[in-house]
Amino acid sequence: MRVAYFSPMPPEASGIADYSALLLPALRRHVDVTVVKRGTKRPPRGVDLAVYHIGNNPEAHGWILDALRRAPGAVVLHDFVLHHLVAGVTIGRRDGHGYLDAMEAEHGVVGRLLAHGVLDRRLPPLWESRPEDFPLAGEVLSLASGVVVHSRHVEERVRAAGFAGPVARVPHPAWADPRVERAAVAGDFLIGAFGNVNQSKRAPQLLEAFARLRADRPGARLLLVGAASPGFDLERRLQRLGLEGDGIVREGYVDERRLWSLMTACDVHVSLRSPTMGETSGTAIRALALGKPLVVTEVGWFAELPRDVALAVPVGEREVADLGAALRLLAERPDVREAMGSAARSLARSEHDVERVAELQATAFERIAGGAAVDDEVLREVSEAAASVGVAPDSPEAAEIARGLAELELGASSSGGPGE
Amino acid sequence: MRIAVLRPQVPFARGGVEIFTDELVVELRSRGHEADLVSVPFKWYPGARVLTQAFLWRLLDLDEADGRQVDVVVATKFPSYLVRHREKRVWLVHQFRQAYELDGTELGQFGQSPRERALRRQVQALDRVALSEATRLFATSGNVAGRLERSTGLVAEVLPHPPQGLPYRSEASQGFVLSASRLDVAKRIDLLLDAAALQPGFDVVIASDGPDRERLEEVARARGLDGRVRFEGRVDADRLAELYATCAAVFYAPVDEDFGMGPYEAFLSGKPVITTIDAGGPLDVVHDHETGLVVRPEPEAIGRAAVWLREHATEAEALGRAGKALADEVTWDRAIARLLS
Repeated sequence: MRVAYFSPMPPEASGIADYSALLLPALRRHVDVTVVKRGTKRPPRGVDLAVYHIGNNPEAHGWILDALRRAPGAVVLHDFVLHHLVAGVTIGRRDGHGYLDAMEAEHGVVGRLLAHGVLDRRLPPLWESRPEDFPLAGEVLSLASGVVVHSRHVEERVRAAGFAGPVARVPHPAWADPRVERAAVAGDFLIGAFGNVNQSKRAPQLLEAFARLRADRPGARLLLVGAASPGFDLERRLQRLGLEGDGIVREGYVDERRLWSLMTACDVHVSLRSPTMGETSGTAIRALALGKPLVVTEVGWFAELPRDVALAVPVGEREVADLGAALRLLAERPDVREAMGSAARSLARSEHDVERVAELQATAFERIAGGAAVDDEVLREVSEAAASVGVAPDSPEAAEIARGLAELELGASSSGGPGE
Repeated sequence: MRIAVLRPQVPFARGGVEIFTDELVVELRSRGHEADLVSVPFKWYPGARVLTQAFLWRLLDLDEADGRQVDVVVATKFPSYLVRHREKRVWLVHQFRQAYELDGTELGQFGQSPRERALRRQVQALDRVALSEATRLFATSGNVAGRLERSTGLVAEVLPHPPQGLPYRSEASQGFVLSASRLDVAKRIDLLLDAAALQPGFDVVIASDGPDRERLEEVARARGLDGRVRFEGRVDADRLAELYATCAAVFYAPVDEDFGMGPYEAFLSGKPVITTIDAGGPLDVVHDHETGLVVRPEPEAIGRAAVWLREHATEAEALGRAGKALADEVTWDRAIARLLS
């Protein structure tokens, strides 16, 4: 089967580009993939299915949404909240009316009024202030012939949004441990946090929890890798918490090799998020591959990680205390760290094995592309046989036949793949 | 116990599964169970018929028969395990292999169109659902269990079964290599014929029938093997036992076979087996220079193995004896005790 593949690709700085680079060699063992060039408007002639990788970043995915609008196909939905993407392809292209229409289409008159407020600068941008309340995934879903998601969380949100087509849950693939040399970072207990430093990554809570931990364990270090978001005054916060000395190790943008090296050096990784856009964290997946214990926020995909690999901290009043307790436990119990690390590595090699993921992904694509024709054929043959022996459509016998079909997922490819 | 043994039946075809299930019913009855065979015709083409014919099993009501409860059903191969039953035990002979390891090979069934690809995936989905309903899951060989785990993640206990009941015995070798496999392409009888053409040191007896017979006879003629290769067709139990008893070795080299009774039949006759490194199930019991010879799937290697066994009669006998000791361990008593435990 021939597949046209719309995705950001390296060297573009995008987690989804990294994802595609990892997955494609294995996926090609199952389907004939043509990766289209950035900016391609339509799938090439003769392909059986166009696959669109959609994420929230308009820079990386705007052109892909444009192509999806021209030719519907399978959507690999990397984020459920797409407000930033929609704003980027409307307001970002000086199409304010497009933004008004998008908000109205999904949130009615109130949505349109709020959008006016944003355009008139009377309200802060909703994609920054309340994106989770206005996900704007409706248009993408309406154009999708089937959807591939990475988590139960997004699957449920897709269904709740009314999408009735095939949905397949396929995990994010894991990289192999590249076995790079660990970076030299001082400290007797190193906590790593990778990615932008900002509110939604729970940086304030992390810093506060770390400050409390450090009061008892002065040798502990917090490694923050990534840029501080505009408006997030990291230095002032560090000063206020008494962390301006050697407790914090800062690195900005790092290349892939340095990233792995720093990650390898950490004893524990934190991957915090709230609100979640429905994303899966490539960094957290890397941590699994390295066999590192994780501390995560109890939201979305992160909450679905098994308890033996990740300590999940709920958002709320006790967040800092819970986060502190999790870090303290891991600091004081090397045996727990080891057990969690071992479980993490095992999870990466099983659930997130790249060959397995490619097979699941190919299954999803094949069922999205051809499932409806198979469903029609099965239903036609079964219903003709039933009718020919006098089984009426509303009879108990027909209901029994329908139950059998549903149990075996026959005749209704609403599940696009094996899922988890 | 009342036990229904489930067998999909391709009309007019008879092979290992038919023998296995017939014998299972007999053996269950001989142990005091009320056992019967439930058979439904199966046709896997064209188009989605593989699904609709499989679905017939789902519509069967085997909870009870004639007002009396059926305690256990024993499903064997695709699609019999689609049946719904509170005590569904699966003794897996094989899945629908065209949807798995045979896909994309000359033995495959599904093309590259999206519809055919989806059809194949739907067969896999049936397996995942239906096999995960089993209360106990056995596989006839490590090969079958391995395929199952790779394709569905389900883990089966390996439970081999004895071969068909023949008057097994061992007699002095008359120097020929026996093949009793059904004559179809997957059994690779060609390899044996080509080996005989390369090595003049042994004769071949083929004691079976199948859709590939005419072609194989033509191959034998074309290789100039008249007089050295004898096609006996399907023979009765006494004759088959006699051939096993008097051969020098048994050739059994299908591609990635599920289980294969051939080695067990050879071993019970005290004869070594020549097989290949890619034979699959037979490799559970045919171990190189322990119970037979395991060689590359090439005529030269098979020819050398046949000649070696003929020229090393003492060693060949020892291999056969070791095989017999192994086959003697696989009894109906043990198999049924595990099946029903």
